[in-house]
Amino acid sequence: MKSKEDINQSDKKMDRPNVASNAPTVADTQEMTEQQKLQHQLQIFQNSLPKVSQTAYMMLLNECVPLSMAVERKRGDCNSKLDRNCDDEVSQAGEQLQKIHVSPPLDPPSHQLCRELYEADEEKHNRVLDRLRNIGFEIGNKITELLVFSNNPNLQFKDMDLLSVMKFICRDVWRQMFNKQIDNLKTNHRGTFYLFDYDYQPIQSFALDSESSEKELQMVKPFLEIAVGVIKGVLASIGHAPEDVICLASYVDRPDEKPKASFTKGVSFHVQITM
Amino acid sequence: MAIYSFWIFDKHCNCIFDREWTLISNSASGTINSKQTEETAKLLYGMIYSLRSVTQKLSRDDTANDVRSISIGKYRIHTYCTASGLWFVLLSDYKQASYAHVLQYIHSHIYVKYVTHNILSPYDFAANENETRGQGFRKIGNRNFISSLEAFLAPMIAQ
Repeated sequence: MKSKEDINQSDKKMDRPNVASNAPTVADTQEMTEQQKLQHQLQIFQNSLPKVSQTAYMMLLNECVPLSMAVERKRGDCNSKLDRNCDDEVSQAGEQLQKIHVSPPLDPPSHQLCRELYEADEEKHNRVLDRLRNIGFEIGNKITELLVFSNNPNLQFKDMDLLSVMKFICRDVWRQMFNKQIDNLKTNHRGTFYLFDYDYQPIQSFALDSESSEKELQMVKPFLEIAVGVIKGVLASIGHAPEDVICLASYVDRPDEKPKASFTKGVSFHVQITM
Repeated sequence: MAIYSFWIFDKHCNCIFDREWTLISNSASGTINSKQTEETAKLLYGMIYSLRSVTQKLSRDDTANDVRSISIGKYRIHTYCTASGLWFVLLSDYKQASYAHVLQYIHSHIYVKYVTHNILSPYDFAANENETRGQGFRKIGNRNFISSLEAFLAPMIAQ
Protein backbone atom coordinates (compact mmCIF):
# COMPACT_ATOMS: atom_id res chain seq x y z
CA MET A 1 0.00 0.00 0.00
CA LYS A 2 2.87 2.40 -0.65
CA SER A 3 1.39 4.23 -3.55
CA LYS A 4 -1.86 4.86 -1.81
CA GLU A 5 -3.24 8.08 -3.02
CA ASP A 6 -5.84 10.27 -1.51
CA ILE A 7 -8.47 10.94 -4.09
CA ASN A 8 -10.92 12.35 -1.70
CA GLN A 9 -10.56 15.80 -3.17
CA SER A 10 -11.41 14.72 -6.64
CA ASP A 11 -14.25 12.73 -5.24
CA LYS A 12 -15.73 15.86 -3.80
CA LYS A 13 -15.33 17.63 -7.06
CA MET A 14 -17.14 14.81 -8.82
CA ASP A 15 -20.19 15.86 -6.93
CA ARG A 16 -21.16 18.13 -9.75
CA PRO A 17 -19.08 17.03 -12.70
CA ASN A 18 -21.11 18.89 -15.27
CA VAL A 19 -20.11 22.13 -13.64
CA ALA A 20 -16.54 21.19 -12.87
CA SER A 21 -15.44 19.42 -16.04
CA ASN A 22 -16.84 21.57 -18.79
CA ALA A 23 -15.35 25.01 -19.09
CA PRO A 24 -18.33 27.10 -20.11
CA THR A 25 -17.38 28.53 -23.49
CA VAL A 26 -19.90 29.98 -25.87
CA ALA A 27 -19.98 26.81 -27.95
CA ASP A 28 -20.62 24.71 -24.87
CA THR A 29 -23.59 26.68 -23.71
CA GLN A 30 -26.02 24.56 -25.64
CA GLU A 31 -24.51 21.38 -24.21
CA MET A 32 -24.53 22.78 -20.72
CA THR A 33 -28.21 23.37 -20.85
CA GLU A 34 -28.61 19.86 -22.19
CA GLN A 35 -26.65 18.57 -19.19
CA GLN A 36 -28.68 20.70 -16.86
CA LYS A 37 -31.83 19.35 -18.40
CA LEU A 38 -30.63 15.81 -17.71
CA GLN A 39 -29.76 16.73 -14.15
CA HIS A 40 -33.17 18.24 -13.76
CA GLN A 41 -34.81 15.10 -15.10
CA LEU A 42 -32.80 13.00 -12.66
CA GLN A 43 -33.98 15.24 -9.84
CA ILE A 44 -37.58 14.80 -10.93
CA PHE A 45 -37.11 11.05 -11.16
CA GLN A 46 -35.58 10.84 -7.71
CA ASN A 47 -38.34 12.93 -6.25
CA SER A 48 -40.87 10.61 -7.83
CA LEU A 49 -39.41 7.53 -6.10
CA PRO A 50 -41.50 6.40 -3.17
CA LYS A 51 -40.07 7.80 0.03
CA VAL A 52 -39.56 5.82 3.17
CA SER A 53 -38.65 7.01 6.63
CA GLN A 54 -34.90 6.84 7.15
CA THR A 55 -35.42 5.66 10.71
CA ALA A 56 -37.81 2.86 9.85
CA TYR A 57 -35.54 1.75 7.03
CA MET A 58 -32.46 1.65 9.26
CA MET A 59 -34.36 -0.32 11.90
CA LEU A 60 -35.44 -2.85 9.30
CA LEU A 61 -31.92 -3.12 7.87
CA ASN A 62 -30.48 -3.70 11.32
CA GLU A 63 -33.10 -6.29 12.19
CA CYS A 64 -31.59 -8.45 9.43
CA VAL A 65 -28.79 -9.38 11.83
CA PRO A 66 -30.91 -10.82 14.66
CA LEU A 67 -33.17 -12.31 12.00
CA SER A 68 -30.27 -14.20 10.45
CA MET A 69 -29.35 -15.47 13.89
CA ALA A 70 -32.94 -16.59 14.47
CA VAL A 71 -32.86 -18.48 11.17
CA GLU A 72 -29.64 -20.15 12.27
CA ARG A 73 -31.26 -21.20 15.55
CA LYS A 74 -34.28 -22.66 13.76
CA ARG A 75 -31.99 -24.55 11.40
CA GLY A 76 -30.09 -25.96 14.35
CA ASP A 77 -33.34 -27.07 15.94
CA CYS A 78 -34.43 -28.87 12.77
CA ASN A 79 -31.10 -30.65 12.42
CA SER A 80 -31.05 -31.87 15.98
CA LYS A 81 -34.58 -33.16 15.55
CA LEU A 82 -33.57 -35.14 12.48
CA ASP A 83 -30.54 -36.46 14.29
CA ARG A 84 -32.57 -37.83 17.10
CA ASN A 85 -34.21 -40.22 14.65
CA CYS A 86 -37.45 -40.41 16.54
CA ASP A 87 -39.43 -43.54 15.74
CA ASP A 88 -41.70 -43.65 18.73
CA GLU A 89 -45.27 -42.57 18.29
CA VAL A 90 -45.30 -40.10 21.13
CA SER A 91 -42.63 -37.76 19.85
CA GLN A 92 -44.08 -37.90 16.36
CA ALA A 93 -47.46 -36.92 17.68
CA GLY A 94 -45.78 -34.12 19.60
CA GLU A 95 -44.04 -32.93 16.49
CA GLN A 96 -47.25 -32.93 14.55
CA LEU A 97 -48.86 -30.96 17.31
CA GLN A 98 -46.10 -28.43 17.02
CA LYS A 99 -46.68 -28.16 13.30
CA ILE A 100 -50.34 -27.30 13.69
CA HIS A 101 -49.57 -24.72 16.34
CA VAL A 102 -51.30 -21.60 15.07
CA SER A 103 -48.76 -19.05 16.22
CA PRO A 104 -45.27 -20.46 16.72
CA PRO A 105 -43.42 -19.11 19.75
CA LEU A 106 -41.81 -15.75 19.11
CA ASP A 107 -38.08 -15.44 18.63
CA PRO A 108 -36.16 -13.96 21.54
CA PRO A 109 -35.75 -10.16 21.47
CA SER A 110 -33.11 -8.74 19.15
CA HIS A 111 -30.54 -7.80 21.77
CA GLN A 112 -30.53 -11.38 23.01
CA LEU A 113 -30.05 -12.73 19.49
CA CYS A 114 -27.13 -10.35 18.97
CA ARG A 115 -25.56 -11.65 22.16
CA GLU A 116 -26.07 -15.24 20.99
CA LEU A 117 -24.44 -14.43 17.69
CA TYR A 118 -21.47 -13.02 19.57
CA GLU A 119 -21.20 -16.16 21.67
CA ALA A 120 -21.80 -18.63 18.83
CA ASP A 121 -18.97 -20.86 17.66
CA GLU A 122 -17.03 -19.87 14.59
CA GLU A 123 -18.80 -22.14 12.14
CA LYS A 124 -22.21 -20.87 13.18
CA HIS A 125 -20.98 -17.29 13.25
CA ASN A 126 -19.68 -17.58 9.70
CA ARG A 127 -22.92 -19.08 8.45
CA VAL A 128 -24.82 -16.11 9.86
CA LEU A 129 -22.38 -13.64 8.32
CA ASP A 130 -22.71 -15.42 4.96
CA ARG A 131 -26.46 -15.09 5.18
CA LEU A 132 -26.10 -11.36 5.85
CA ARG A 133 -23.70 -10.92 2.95
CA ASN A 134 -26.18 -12.67 0.71
CA ILE A 135 -28.90 -10.25 1.74
CA GLY A 136 -26.55 -7.37 0.95
CA PHE A 137 -25.54 -8.98 -2.34
CA GLU A 138 -29.15 -9.10 -3.48
CA ILE A 139 -29.71 -5.49 -2.47
CA GLY A 140 -26.50 -4.42 -4.22
CA ASN A 141 -27.49 -6.05 -7.49
CA LYS A 142 -30.85 -4.39 -7.49
CA ILE A 143 -29.62 -1.00 -6.40
CA THR A 144 -27.27 -0.79 -9.39
CA GLU A 145 -30.20 -1.52 -11.63
CA LEU A 146 -32.18 1.24 -9.97
CA LEU A 147 -29.41 3.81 -10.16
CA VAL A 148 -28.48 2.97 -13.72
CA PHE A 149 -32.06 2.90 -14.80
CA SER A 150 -32.56 6.34 -13.35
CA ASN A 151 -30.64 7.64 -16.36
CA ASN A 152 -28.07 9.33 -14.22
CA PRO A 153 -26.06 11.87 -16.25
CA ASN A 154 -23.26 11.64 -13.68
CA LEU A 155 -22.51 8.11 -14.82
CA GLN A 156 -20.55 7.33 -17.96
CA PHE A 157 -20.88 3.62 -18.50
CA LYS A 158 -18.93 3.62 -21.75
CA ASP A 159 -15.53 3.80 -20.09
CA MET A 160 -16.30 2.51 -16.65
CA ASP A 161 -12.89 1.77 -15.28
CA LEU A 162 -12.53 0.37 -11.81
CA LEU A 163 -11.98 3.77 -10.24
CA SER A 164 -15.18 5.23 -11.58
CA VAL A 165 -17.05 2.11 -10.49
CA MET A 166 -15.73 2.64 -6.98
CA LYS A 167 -16.68 6.28 -7.14
CA PHE A 168 -20.13 5.20 -8.20
CA ILE A 169 -20.32 3.07 -5.04
CA CYS A 170 -18.94 5.81 -2.81
CA ARG A 171 -21.21 8.48 -4.13
CA ASP A 172 -24.41 7.15 -5.63
CA VAL A 173 -24.88 3.80 -3.92
CA TRP A 174 -23.94 5.09 -0.50
CA ARG A 175 -26.16 8.11 -0.85
CA GLN A 176 -29.05 5.94 -1.92
CA MET A 177 -28.59 3.53 0.96
CA PHE A 178 -27.19 5.57 3.82
CA ASN A 179 -28.07 9.14 2.89
CA LYS A 180 -24.43 10.17 2.90
CA GLN A 181 -21.28 9.64 0.85
CA ILE A 182 -18.22 7.64 1.74
CA ASP A 183 -15.89 10.01 3.56
CA ASN A 184 -12.65 8.93 1.97
CA LEU A 185 -11.52 6.62 -0.84
CA LYS A 186 -7.97 5.38 -1.15
CA THR A 187 -6.46 3.19 -3.84
CA ASN A 188 -3.14 1.87 -5.09
CA HIS A 189 -4.48 1.84 -8.69
CA ARG A 190 -3.92 -1.92 -8.85
CA GLY A 191 -7.31 -3.13 -7.79
CA THR A 192 -7.08 -2.41 -4.08
CA PHE A 193 -9.40 0.15 -2.56
CA TYR A 194 -10.11 1.38 0.91
CA LEU A 195 -13.48 3.00 1.51
CA PHE A 196 -13.68 4.92 4.76
CA ASP A 197 -16.99 5.77 6.35
CA TYR A 198 -16.29 7.55 9.60
CA ASP A 199 -19.87 7.59 10.76
CA TYR A 200 -21.53 4.57 9.24
CA GLN A 201 -25.18 5.40 9.78
CA PRO A 202 -26.82 2.12 10.88
CA ILE A 203 -24.61 1.60 13.94
CA GLN A 204 -24.39 5.12 15.30
CA SER A 205 -26.59 4.69 18.36
CA PHE A 206 -25.34 1.23 19.30
CA ALA A 207 -23.71 0.75 22.67
CA LEU A 208 -23.44 -1.89 25.33
CA ASP A 209 -24.12 -1.02 28.93
CA SER A 210 -20.52 -0.88 30.04
CA GLU A 211 -17.74 1.29 28.72
CA SER A 212 -16.76 0.98 25.10
CA SER A 213 -14.91 -2.31 24.73
CA GLU A 214 -13.61 -4.90 22.35
CA LYS A 215 -16.74 -6.92 23.03
CA GLU A 216 -18.95 -4.10 21.88
CA LEU A 217 -16.98 -3.72 18.66
CA GLN A 218 -17.22 -7.46 18.00
CA MET A 219 -20.95 -7.45 18.67
CA VAL A 220 -21.52 -4.60 16.24
CA LYS A 221 -19.31 -6.09 13.55
CA PRO A 222 -22.01 -8.29 11.94
CA PHE A 223 -23.93 -5.11 11.17
CA LEU A 224 -21.19 -4.15 8.70
CA GLU A 225 -21.65 -7.33 6.68
CA ILE A 226 -24.73 -6.12 4.85
CA ALA A 227 -22.73 -3.22 3.43
CA VAL A 228 -19.97 -5.68 2.47
CA GLY A 229 -22.59 -7.66 0.58
CA VAL A 230 -23.91 -4.53 -1.08
CA ILE A 231 -20.45 -3.61 -2.37
CA LYS A 232 -19.98 -7.13 -3.77
CA GLY A 233 -23.44 -7.06 -5.27
CA VAL A 234 -22.87 -3.77 -7.05
CA LEU A 235 -19.52 -4.98 -8.39
CA ALA A 236 -21.09 -8.24 -9.53
CA SER A 237 -23.83 -6.47 -11.45
CA ILE A 238 -21.23 -4.32 -13.20
CA GLY A 239 -19.25 -7.38 -14.26
CA HIS A 240 -16.81 -8.29 -11.50
CA ALA A 241 -17.76 -11.81 -10.48
CA PRO A 242 -18.06 -12.29 -6.72
CA GLU A 243 -15.24 -14.83 -6.70
CA ASP A 244 -12.83 -12.18 -8.06
CA VAL A 245 -13.72 -9.71 -5.34
CA ILE A 246 -12.57 -9.74 -1.76
CA CYS A 247 -14.34 -7.29 0.49
CA LEU A 248 -13.67 -7.03 4.21
CA ALA A 249 -14.94 -4.61 6.80
CA SER A 250 -12.86 -3.46 9.73
CA TYR A 251 -12.75 -0.65 12.23
CA VAL A 252 -10.57 2.42 11.89
CA ASP A 253 -9.97 5.33 14.21
CA ARG A 254 -11.82 8.45 13.32
CA PRO A 255 -9.58 11.33 12.26
CA ASP A 256 -9.28 14.08 14.83
CA GLU A 257 -10.82 16.79 12.72
CA LYS A 258 -14.06 14.83 12.38
CA PRO A 259 -16.78 15.88 14.82
CA LYS A 260 -17.37 13.35 17.55
CA ALA A 261 -20.04 10.79 16.68
CA SER A 262 -21.67 8.56 19.24
CA PHE A 263 -20.06 5.36 17.95
CA THR A 264 -16.38 5.32 18.77
CA LYS A 265 -14.95 3.91 15.56
CA GLY A 266 -15.17 4.57 11.88
CA VAL A 267 -15.50 1.76 9.36
CA SER A 268 -13.13 0.83 6.59
CA PHE A 269 -14.17 -1.40 3.70
CA HIS A 270 -11.21 -3.05 2.06
CA VAL A 271 -11.99 -4.07 -1.51
CA GLN A 272 -9.60 -6.15 -3.56
CA ILE A 273 -10.40 -6.97 -7.16
CA THR A 274 -8.39 -9.42 -9.23
CA MET A 275 -8.51 -8.83 -12.95
CA MET B 1 -34.30 26.69 39.84
CA ALA B 2 -32.83 23.41 40.92
CA ILE B 3 -33.50 19.74 40.37
CA TYR B 4 -32.82 17.09 42.96
CA SER B 5 -33.33 13.73 41.32
CA PHE B 6 -34.56 12.02 38.18
CA TRP B 7 -36.28 8.66 37.76
CA ILE B 8 -37.63 6.50 34.92
CA PHE B 9 -40.19 3.76 35.51
CA ASP B 10 -41.21 1.24 32.88
CA LYS B 11 -44.58 -0.37 32.23
CA HIS B 12 -43.84 -3.19 34.67
CA CYS B 13 -43.61 -0.77 37.62
CA ASN B 14 -39.83 -1.21 37.63
CA CYS B 15 -37.47 1.65 38.17
CA ILE B 16 -35.14 1.40 35.17
CA PHE B 17 -33.10 4.50 35.83
CA ASP B 18 -32.42 6.77 38.77
CA ARG B 19 -30.10 9.63 39.42
CA GLU B 20 -29.84 11.71 42.57
CA TRP B 21 -27.86 14.87 43.04
CA THR B 22 -28.67 15.52 46.68
CA LEU B 23 -26.76 12.65 48.26
CA ILE B 24 -24.05 13.91 50.54
CA SER B 25 -21.13 11.96 49.06
CA ASN B 26 -20.60 14.02 45.94
CA SER B 27 -23.40 16.30 44.91
CA ALA B 28 -21.87 17.27 41.59
CA SER B 29 -21.58 13.86 40.03
CA GLY B 30 -24.60 12.12 41.50
CA THR B 31 -24.80 8.36 41.86
CA ILE B 32 -26.34 5.58 39.83
CA ASN B 33 -28.17 2.52 41.08
CA SER B 34 -27.37 3.05 44.72
CA LYS B 35 -29.08 0.62 47.10
CA GLN B 36 -30.65 3.28 49.27
CA THR B 37 -32.63 4.69 46.37
CA GLU B 38 -34.54 1.44 45.87
CA GLU B 39 -36.95 2.16 48.70
CA THR B 40 -37.44 5.75 47.58
CA ALA B 41 -38.24 4.56 44.08
CA LYS B 42 -40.97 2.25 45.36
CA LEU B 43 -42.54 4.95 47.51
CA LEU B 44 -42.38 7.47 44.70
CA TYR B 45 -43.96 5.03 42.29
CA GLY B 46 -46.69 4.17 44.77
CA MET B 47 -47.58 7.77 45.42
CA ILE B 48 -47.78 8.72 41.74
CA TYR B 49 -49.67 5.54 40.89
CA SER B 50 -52.38 6.09 43.49
CA LEU B 51 -52.73 9.77 42.70
CA ARG B 52 -53.05 8.95 39.01
CA SER B 53 -55.82 6.46 39.60
CA VAL B 54 -57.65 8.93 41.82
CA THR B 55 -57.39 11.78 39.35
CA GLN B 56 -58.55 9.55 36.53
CA LYS B 57 -61.65 8.69 38.53
CA LEU B 58 -62.24 12.34 39.33
CA SER B 59 -62.37 13.21 35.66
CA ARG B 60 -65.92 14.16 34.68
CA ASP B 61 -65.67 13.14 31.05
CA ASP B 62 -63.40 10.83 29.13
CA THR B 63 -60.66 13.34 28.53
CA ALA B 64 -57.34 12.61 30.14
CA ASN B 65 -56.92 14.00 33.62
CA ASP B 66 -53.36 13.11 34.38
CA VAL B 67 -51.08 14.14 37.21
CA ARG B 68 -48.54 16.66 36.02
CA SER B 69 -46.88 17.65 39.22
CA ILE B 70 -47.28 17.03 42.91
CA SER B 71 -46.12 19.56 45.47
CA ILE B 72 -45.14 18.34 48.89
CA GLY B 73 -43.40 20.02 51.80
CA LYS B 74 -39.84 19.80 50.53
CA TYR B 75 -40.03 19.61 46.79
CA ARG B 76 -42.17 19.34 43.73
CA ILE B 77 -42.54 16.12 41.72
CA HIS B 78 -42.99 16.45 37.98
CA THR B 79 -44.30 13.49 36.03
CA TYR B 80 -44.52 12.75 32.36
CA CYS B 81 -46.22 9.51 31.35
CA THR B 82 -46.00 8.19 27.82
CA ALA B 83 -48.62 6.03 26.15
CA SER B 84 -46.08 3.20 26.06
CA GLY B 85 -46.14 3.07 29.83
CA LEU B 86 -42.93 4.88 30.62
CA TRP B 87 -42.89 7.39 33.46
CA PHE B 88 -40.34 10.16 33.60
CA VAL B 89 -40.21 11.70 37.05
CA LEU B 90 -38.23 14.74 38.12
CA LEU B 91 -37.90 16.17 41.61
CA SER B 92 -37.26 19.89 41.79
CA ASP B 93 -37.70 22.98 43.97
CA TYR B 94 -40.69 25.33 43.64
CA LYS B 95 -39.22 27.98 41.40
CA GLN B 96 -40.42 26.53 38.12
CA ALA B 97 -44.01 25.40 37.71
CA SER B 98 -43.57 22.98 34.84
CA TYR B 99 -40.80 20.75 33.61
CA ALA B 100 -43.03 19.10 31.01
CA HIS B 101 -40.89 20.27 28.10
CA VAL B 102 -37.72 19.00 29.79
CA LEU B 103 -39.17 15.55 30.40
CA GLN B 104 -40.61 15.44 26.92
CA TYR B 105 -37.22 16.29 25.48
CA ILE B 106 -35.53 13.57 27.53
CA HIS B 107 -37.99 11.03 26.19
CA SER B 108 -37.95 12.04 22.54
CA HIS B 109 -34.32 13.06 22.07
CA ILE B 110 -32.36 11.02 24.58
CA TYR B 111 -34.33 7.92 25.53
CA VAL B 112 -35.54 7.13 22.02
CA LYS B 113 -32.18 7.86 20.45
CA TYR B 114 -29.93 5.90 22.76
CA VAL B 115 -32.16 3.17 24.19
CA THR B 116 -34.85 2.48 21.61
CA HIS B 117 -32.59 2.75 18.57
CA ASN B 118 -29.81 0.78 20.21
CA ILE B 119 -30.28 -2.78 19.03
CA LEU B 120 -27.85 -4.07 21.67
CA SER B 121 -30.05 -2.77 24.44
CA PRO B 122 -33.35 -4.38 25.39
CA TYR B 123 -36.45 -2.28 24.78
CA ASP B 124 -38.28 -4.11 27.55
CA PHE B 125 -36.16 -4.27 30.66
CA ALA B 126 -38.11 -7.12 32.25
CA ALA B 127 -36.50 -10.20 30.72
CA ASN B 128 -39.11 -12.64 32.02
CA GLU B 129 -42.36 -12.91 33.92
CA ASN B 130 -40.61 -12.83 37.30
CA GLU B 131 -39.24 -9.39 36.69
CA THR B 132 -42.58 -7.70 36.11
CA ARG B 133 -44.70 -6.09 38.83
CA GLY B 134 -41.88 -4.12 40.37
CA GLN B 135 -39.58 -7.12 40.84
CA GLY B 136 -37.17 -6.11 38.09
CA PHE B 137 -33.64 -4.99 38.80
CA ARG B 138 -32.26 -4.17 35.37
CA LYS B 139 -31.32 -0.55 34.77
CA ILE B 140 -30.23 1.51 31.84
CA GLY B 141 -26.45 1.51 31.96
CA ASN B 142 -25.82 2.79 28.47
CA ARG B 143 -22.97 5.31 28.48
CA ASN B 144 -24.34 7.40 25.63
CA PHE B 145 -27.66 7.72 27.38
CA ILE B 146 -26.11 8.64 30.70
CA SER B 147 -23.65 11.15 29.32
CA SER B 148 -26.14 13.01 27.17
CA LEU B 149 -28.71 13.03 29.96
CA GLU B 150 -26.11 14.43 32.34
CA ALA B 151 -25.07 17.06 29.86
CA PHE B 152 -28.68 18.04 29.39
CA LEU B 153 -29.60 18.21 33.07
CA ALA B 154 -26.32 19.61 34.39
CA PRO B 155 -27.29 23.29 34.14
CA MET B 156 -30.37 22.63 36.28
CA ILE B 157 -28.66 20.86 39.16
CA ALA B 158 -28.69 22.78 42.44
CA GLN B 159 -25.96 25.37 42.77
